[in-house]
Amino acid sequence: MASELPLLPRSLERLIKQWASRRLNPPSSEAIINRQRLYILPTSHGVTIFTILLLILLGAINYENSLGYMLAFLMGALGFLSMVHTHQNINHMKLQLANPRPVFAGQLAHFPLTLSFKRPGMHPALQVQAENGDAICAHLLDDTAIDIMLPVATHQRGYMPIPRLKIFSEFPLGLFHAWSWVQLESHCLVYPTPAPSHLPVSHTSSDPLGQQSSESTGVDEFAGIRKYQPGDPPSHMAWKAIARTGELQSKLFTSDSSNDLHIRWDSLNPGLDTEKRLSILCRLVIDAHDHGLSYSFDIPGTSLPSASGQHHRDLCLKALALFGTQPV
Amino acid sequence: MKPRTSASTQQLLSRLLPRHPLHWVILSLLLAVSPHLLRFPAWASALILALCGWRLLSLSYPRLALRQWMLIIIMLPTAAVIFLTYGTLFGKTAGSLLLSVLLAIKLHECHKRRDYILLIGLSFFIIVTNFLFSQSLLTVAFMLLLVQVLIMSLISINDEGAQIDLKQRTTLASRLLLQSLPLMLLLFVLFPRISGPLWKLPEEQQTAVTGLSDSMTPGNISSLIQSNAVAFRVEFESETPPQKQLYWRALVLWYFDGRTWEQGKTNLTPWPQIEAIDDYVTYTITLEPHNEKWLYGLDMPVEVPSDLRYTNEFLLRTRKPVSHLYQYTLTSALSYQIQPTLSPWEKSAGLNIPTVNNPETFALGQQLAKTYQQPRKIVQQVLNMFNQQNFHYTLNPPPTPGFDSVDQFLFETRKGFCEHYAGSFALLMRAAGIPARVVLGYQGGTLNPLNRVMTVRQKDAHAWTEVWLDGEGWVRIDPTASIAPQRIETSLDAALSPEEDRPLHMQMNSGLMRELMFYWDAIDNRWNQWVVGYDHQLQQDFLKAMFNQDVSFSDLVILMVSGFLITLLIIVLLIVRPWRSTTDVDPVVRLYQRFCQKLARHGLIREQHEGPIDFCQRAVRTLPEQKDSITLITRLYTRLRYAPDPQERQLQQLRQLVSGFRVSKGNS
Repeated sequence: MASELPLLPRSLERLIKQWASRRLNPPSSEAIINRQRLYILPTSHGVTIFTILLLILLGAINYENSLGYMLAFLMGALGFLSMVHTHQNINHMKLQLANPRPVFAGQLAHFPLTLSFKRPGMHPALQVQAENGDAICAHLLDDTAIDIMLPVATHQRGYMPIPRLKIFSEFPLGLFHAWSWVQLESHCLVYPTPAPSHLPVSHTSSDPLGQQSSESTGVDEFAGIRKYQPGDPPSHMAWKAIARTGELQSKLFTSDSSNDLHIRWDSLNPGLDTEKRLSILCRLVIDAHDHGLSYSFDIPGTSLPSASGQHHRDLCLKALALFGTQPV
Repeated sequence: MKPRTSASTQQLLSRLLPRHPLHWVILSLLLAVSPHLLRFPAWASALILALCGWRLLSLSYPRLALRQWMLIIIMLPTAAVIFLTYGTLFGKTAGSLLLSVLLAIKLHECHKRRDYILLIGLSFFIIVTNFLFSQSLLTVAFMLLLVQVLIMSLISINDEGAQIDLKQRTTLASRLLLQSLPLMLLLFVLFPRISGPLWKLPEEQQTAVTGLSDSMTPGNISSLIQSNAVAFRVEFESETPPQKQLYWRALVLWYFDGRTWEQGKTNLTPWPQIEAIDDYVTYTITLEPHNEKWLYGLDMPVEVPSDLRYTNEFLLRTRKPVSHLYQYTLTSALSYQIQPTLSPWEKSAGLNIPTVNNPETFALGQQLAKTYQQPRKIVQQVLNMFNQQNFHYTLNPPPTPGFDSVDQFLFETRKGFCEHYAGSFALLMRAAGIPARVVLGYQGGTLNPLNRVMTVRQKDAHAWTEVWLDGEGWVRIDPTASIAPQRIETSLDAALSPEEDRPLHMQMNSGLMRELMFYWDAIDNRWNQWVVGYDHQLQQDFLKAMFNQDVSFSDLVILMVSGFLITLLIIVLLIVRPWRSTTDVDPVVRLYQRFCQKLARHGLIREQHEGPIDFCQRAVRTLPEQKDSITLITRLYTRLRYAPDPQERQLQQLRQLVSGFRVSKGNS
């Protein structure tokens, strides 16, 4: 990856980063960029323009050309002021982070980030970059806040903390690079990477998906109506009852327990290593959910009775994501 | 239908405005080069325009993009032609031309932000090359406009696709520009000026500036009359001499080949002699750069600055061609006698005639000498001839080609301008045995009543003669004065017949226009003296006047740096306005905070999470005796803060209540 700061050798950049990391804000879900944490350096374009300025000044001195002096000084003054404007473009910016939706390892986690200023003003070309990620650009033109989604690459299951962010801008003239490093506190839940959908049979001692046909043809018996609980599938909404009572109600079905799906740690080949196993279980949960099945879930440390729905799926996947780690 | 048309015009407008950053780059480059386009040879200007236009096309139709080898094929011959035309690649015109062409070529190799910014930076450089040709007030106005466009270009290159509309872009750019101006002015005044160049300027065949040339051929002065450009400005220390005495001499021509008068070989007369001097005038001349070594002096300069060369023809010369505004002070005598004894060189050069040409003139001169014998009488006779016979003074005389031009003029056309009269008069004198020479310079000038500065323009160019008379020395004889006395006493305009086609600048010389011209001229003169001519000396004088003492180089640097930092600080404060955050707070909130502070002093501290009404209830429980005022203040506060239509009267009431609120001691 190209160096983050303009014009500096890597070693110097590392030194600056170390020094700046001692000045970082205490981690929290929001941060305000202030003068103490806002740095500014000329860009390579700035150096180019400055060189041209020096040439003009040299020419003006040699030819005793008053207007040449004037232009050189005007350029110099513009340079200084563009530094102030670039600095002002991100000074006092407030960053607020919300929790991102969980993703599967290998996907991009999108952290919802709100950039805002106390006073309305024009702040175009604000760029936010997670460490080792791509910068994304936001423009605040006549509003006080803007929401962006910051993509961060994920590699491992578990809770992934948001990396240190670099906020920078070179607006308006591109002659200076103003930046700040911000450490925010937020985690993205990263599920294991699901295994490929066509599982080799040898990996499973029984073929759980084989029961799919009996499930889909099996007739569920209507058992009654109960109060809606998070996780109940929308297709089970008892709309008539809702209309009558004004409360959310779900239809309750009993299904044949012999057709029930069990996603169990033990049902997989014991020789499999843990990550592989989690990955296969993850695939099973996804597929079962996608087919609208009820399934029970059982891995060491977590055991969930048979259920279906988004909530159940999320609980299972979370258990897989955090398997073997200390919950954060 | 109306909104539809307005939408379509808007659409049209947005289509015309630059969208792609490269549009801005091309626009900036074209504007920066535009003053040059008239100076450059036509093929070069056409090439630059074509290259810019082609780039615009190839942006929309990438198939048309020029390949690198094509660019090299364009570049090499162009550079060769420039070198052949100017003899160098780095002179004033050659350098600007080469740079402009190179940038236009670079446009075709311009794809990334880095290239855009480089081109914008080099456009700044092109602006400076304009200043080598003109430093007028208009040029600076144009520069500011250009810098505005360049800033807008930089903004559009760096806005990362933000949809900033043109108005916001313009406002931002002009704000940046305005904020920079005080800093620029400060640096301009205080940046230490060095006298003299750092390195030798590259020699270039100087480009022709409209002005006198060092020879006189029929037609070359009357073509100068078309120009209203300033030749030099004069400030007299005392009274301005009468118009008819204002002969500004620059060149003396001795050698005539039948058609053209030239300076000829070096005058070997040992030393200028001047006697019977009287009627002194002292004046300061500010000479516009003309790339020649000669200076102008009122007949006859007697006191000249020591760094100037003073010739035996009473002319002034500098060591280097004048390429900057140049100021010098002279004292002249309006009454004088020069060279009472004629040197042998002057005698032979002053009587030299090319005998093969102009035989009729020669015969006439001989005949005059025989008839009148006394030189004074001969002179008078020829002047009478011009005055009384059928001679005409005109800007557009019929052509007199060939080497018998004097014969043609005197005996055929009889229509001519000052150069015809001066040339033929001098030749006639020589034929009659009287030493004569032609003098080139300017005659007259326009006094600006606003600032008492006299402006001498190219249209005042003039040629006259000097003849040597025994006992009087070289005497100025202006034959034009006898054919058209108004030319000498008032102006050329008065001397020309009403039917004559006049140059544009004379046609516009009506009352109001004249007045405006005087104003403009006065401003231009100030500009020249204080801005264009601001050099080491002027800076020293200015600082001395400001601080009542000499300012050393190091003091000046300290002054400049500290002045710059202070000005920058003020401007930054004006941009950031750190005090604004406190004034932004609602006065209602401030009053309520004061109320809370008063309670806090008695242990009643409002918690972060506590709303005003909860806090009120708690406060009333602690201070039951002040229940009324506490609840009233809280109610007013909530109403002012959250009700849709807060009233000024309620704010007044709240203010009174809060300032009157006291926690009674006994209950705390």
